[in-house]
Amino acid sequence: MGDVVVFRLSNKLLELDRLAEAVEAFGERHGFPRKMIYQVRLVLDELLTNVISYGFSDNTAHEIEVEMRLVDSRLMLSIEDDAAPFDPLQAMTPDLTTAMEDRAIGGLGIHLVRKLMDSVRYERRDEKNRLFLEKTIS
Amino acid sequence: MELVEKVSGDVTILVLNGRLDSNTSKLLEDKVMDVLRQGCKKLLMDFQDVDYINSTGLRVLLLALQQLKKSQGKLVLCCIKDYMKEVFEISGYTEIFPIFTTQEEAVTGFA
Repeated sequence: MGDVVVFRLSNKLLELDRLAEAVEAFGERHGFPRKMIYQVRLVLDELLTNVISYGFSDNTAHEIEVEMRLVDSRLMLSIEDDAAPFDPLQAMTPDLTTAMEDRAIGGLGIHLVRKLMDSVRYERRDEKNRLFLEKTIS
Repeated sequence: MELVEKVSGDVTILVLNGRLDSNTSKLLEDKVMDVLRQGCKKLLMDFQDVDYINSTGLRVLLLALQQLKKSQGKLVLCCIKDYMKEVFEISGYTEIFPIFTTQEEAVTGFA
C-alpha cells in the first residue's frame, strides 16, 4: 500500500550522502514541500549518525535498513539495525531554558527528531533496534 | 562546505556555502576559532548559500557564541533559508541569536 522505498546502507558516515539523495528523490517524486524534504533528511541523518558513530564496537561491516513509506499524506519511516541496544527516546533532551552560556553541547539531535516527527516508537526485537517514525506531510 | 571571510568595519563576515553537517562542520569550527584568535569581537555568519544544517552544525554555532561571550563579543546570523527556520526555532536558536534577513541589516544590527 502506498509507495515504499527500502534503502540499505552500511555503517559508514559517508553512506549518509547516498541516503540523503534517496530522501530528496522520494520527496520530489511526491511533491513534498522543500521544508518537509529537509526535515526528513535531517531526522534520518541525526538518528543514523548516532547509530553509525556509537552503535558498533566490532569494526566489522553492518547493514542498516531504512524504509520510507507514503500512504496518502502520511509518511512512515522505519530504521532497523543490529547495533547495541539503544532507545533514543530514553536519551536526555537538552534543557533549552538553561542560560545560553551554560547550555550543554549535546542532545540536540534527538530533540530535533522528537519535535519534527509526529510520533516516534522504539522496539528491540530479534537482537535488533527498530525505530518507527511518522509524520503528516503538509 | 565553502567559507569566504569578509570584513566590514569591525565586523567579520563569514559567508557560508553548502552543507553544515557531520563531515563539514569542523571546517567552520576551525575557522571560527581562527578569527577569534585574531581578536574578532563581532562575527556575522551569512547562511544565504547554506542548504543543509544538522545538529553538528548547530552545535558549532552555539560553541562560537559561547566563545565570543567570554570576550564580550557578539555573534549574529543572517539570510537563513525559510525552510530551515523551523529547525532554528525548535533548537531554541531564535531566542539566543539575533537573526536578520539581509547581510546589510545584520551588519547594522551590531551597532
